Amino acid sequence: MTDHDNKNCHTGSSGSDHFSKKSTMDPDNSSTETPDQLKQSLVDLGRYRDKQTFALLYDFFAPRLKRHLMSKGAHGEMAEELVQETMLSVWRHCKSYDPDKSTASTWIFRIARNLWIDRLRKEKADLMSPLDNYPESSFVPAMTEFDSDKIKSALNNLPQQQAQLVYKVYYEGKSHREISEDMDMPLGSVKSGLRLAFTKLRNQMGEVK
Amino acid sequence: MTTHHPDLSTLMSYSAGSLPDAIATVVAAHLSVCSHCSRHVQEAEQIGISLLEELEPAPLSAGARDDILAMLDDTEQVAEPAKPAKQNVPDNADVPAPLRHLLGHYLDDLHWKTMAPGLKQFILPAAESNLRLLKIAPGTCMPSHGHTGSELTMVIRGSYSDELGRFCAGDVADLDPDVQHQPVADTHEGCICLIATDAPLRFNGLVPRLLQPFFQL
Repeated sequence: MTDHDNKNCHTGSSGSDHFSKKSTMDPDNSSTETPDQLKQSLVDLGRYRDKQTFALLYDFFAPRLKRHLMSKGAHGEMAEELVQETMLSVWRHCKSYDPDKSTASTWIFRIARNLWIDRLRKEKADLMSPLDNYPESSFVPAMTEFDSDKIKSALNNLPQQQAQLVYKVYYEGKSHREISEDMDMPLGSVKSGLRLAFTKLRNQMGEVK
Repeated sequence: MTTHHPDLSTLMSYSAGSLPDAIATVVAAHLSVCSHCSRHVQEAEQIGISLLEELEPAPLSAGARDDILAMLDDTEQVAEPAKPAKQNVPDNADVPAPLRHLLGHYLDDLHWKTMAPGLKQFILPAAESNLRLLKIAPGTCMPSHGHTGSELTMVIRGSYSDELGRFCAGDVADLDPDVQHQPVADTHEGCICLIATDAPLRFNGLVPRLLQPFFQL
């Protein structure tokens, strides 16, 4: 830990407040990393094992991971624990990151998702804990580059109800049945709405190349 | 090879980690043999990531960054792709890859419980939904039934036919609640399916309904 690494997190607070107002993010650059820069950083991290590179990735991803986990239902403290676990796992496994297969975000969020699911399993007694429902896909060819901005604009153009369905699946982690209860919609309509939304969003991705 | 796949909405929810675990297991079993759906899952993942990048960052507590940077020195990096030891899986293993951990390699080694003539089952522990293997003897007809929630079925061995078509090994039937069907095992070797439901099946007819608690369906 060097002084240099410290520069973004002087807070002067006691540290006991989990929701400290002071952001640990560097306001000048961390939110503007492009997917390519993040990818390069993650590759570099595997090569050079450099703490500053790690700090850069941490500053970008940790707060987003935390928000993500909280939206999935983890309370603040647990979300933060999982963020730390995820980022430590990034440090340990970054050598196996393959930039041709996935973006840095995909890779890191997948780790977080798996840890979150593991955590849920541990909390319930008789689950099939050894079961790995989410193995690293081994044989899928390289993903074509996708344009995040296009997907976002496609999302904004979805009919409101479809956008809401997509939101519930990704942000709230709701199952189809839960969504159908929440929105008072038949299960079949939930599925067809999601199907339509997926098809539209995917077409946008297709136009990238 | 496979002709029947999970619905896109199911793959989307899988990629988001939002499926009940039993249903996710069936999807995982299908993905282990279907590159077509694996690609869709990757696409759905990309959509999810775009959404996640939109999230407003949630600040971490004050010491979190220092804590983790301090831990790095003591944390070994794992050298190169930690390919989860490709254990010697026999060529004739017929248990779907994601279940081998739990069940070993061979379906015939399981302790099947007879439910009715021509019908055996093996129940797997699942959290918020039901997961079971069902073994249907050749020519055996399941009672006609509908569903009160989602049902996802993957054929592991043999094949069956119902109102929707013929389902062979690797195929998945992703059924809406309004579907009524009556599967029949239609090959000489019978049929083994992996079935996940997130609500009880709804049998038509009094006798099957009376049998329902007995079946644990």
